[in-house]
Amino acid sequence: MIGNDIVDLHQADADSNWRRKGYLQKVFSREEQQLILSASNPCQMVWLLWSMKEAVYKIHSRRKNWHVFAPVKLVCTEVKLHGTCATGVVVCQRLKYFTQSAVNPEFIHTMAGESFPLEAARIDISCYDPSDESYRNTAPATVSHHGRYLALAYL
Amino acid sequence: MDRQLLLSKLKTIVASYSHDKDALEYLSETTDFTKDLKINSANLVDVVLDVEEEFDIEIDNLSMERMLNVSAAIEIIESKLKEIDRK
Repeated sequence: MIGNDIVDLHQADADSNWRRKGYLQKVFSREEQQLILSASNPCQMVWLLWSMKEAVYKIHSRRKNWHVFAPVKLVCTEVKLHGTCATGVVVCQRLKYFTQSAVNPEFIHTMAGESFPLEAARIDISCYDPSDESYRNTAPATVSHHGRYLALAYL
Repeated sequence: MDRQLLLSKLKTIVASYSHDKDALEYLSETTDFTKDLKINSANLVDVVLDVEEEFDIEIDNLSMERMLNVSAAIEIIESKLKEIDRK
């Protein structure tokens, strides 16, 4: 099983103020908050960790029929960010998931899987048009959209 | 607090984050925050924080887990307000 998540960084910037009082504490563990606050680009780190959690939630929620809003229960570890590529491990209810993210000034796209290296998948990122749902007929394994982007992955 | 008043306060909060104005207009106890109101998950955190500020209560993580629709939110707010009354 795979999961993905895309964050349009401009949309996120317009919609969310993660600096508001209490926000980080509701979403991130102490270690994750430390990672954010010590990052050279804290904003990028917020959305990188967020997309890791979301991509893994897509797998874990299906696998365990787990439908709750509990971002702190998806714990990001071993986060390594090198330029435009990031990898990490997310643990949820003692299960380990692996992530790989593409990071650039416009968006962050994370792929998550149950083993590492991740299963080979074809990723298709395009402009999102809410009135066009034809992508559903192409049977993507996982779908994410946010702001300007639609991200599909096929196995 | 009167349930209608509580619902209207909640409606004002979610209105800032909803991406479906029709669903917002017909808000009822069965309305789902993400499926119906199309609130993105990053903004669900804002809903929780706004509720805390508006009602002067603290929503613990276990309660937040369940706060996915209007009826759960009302139930949580009412029970937190009762806890304060008892103190």
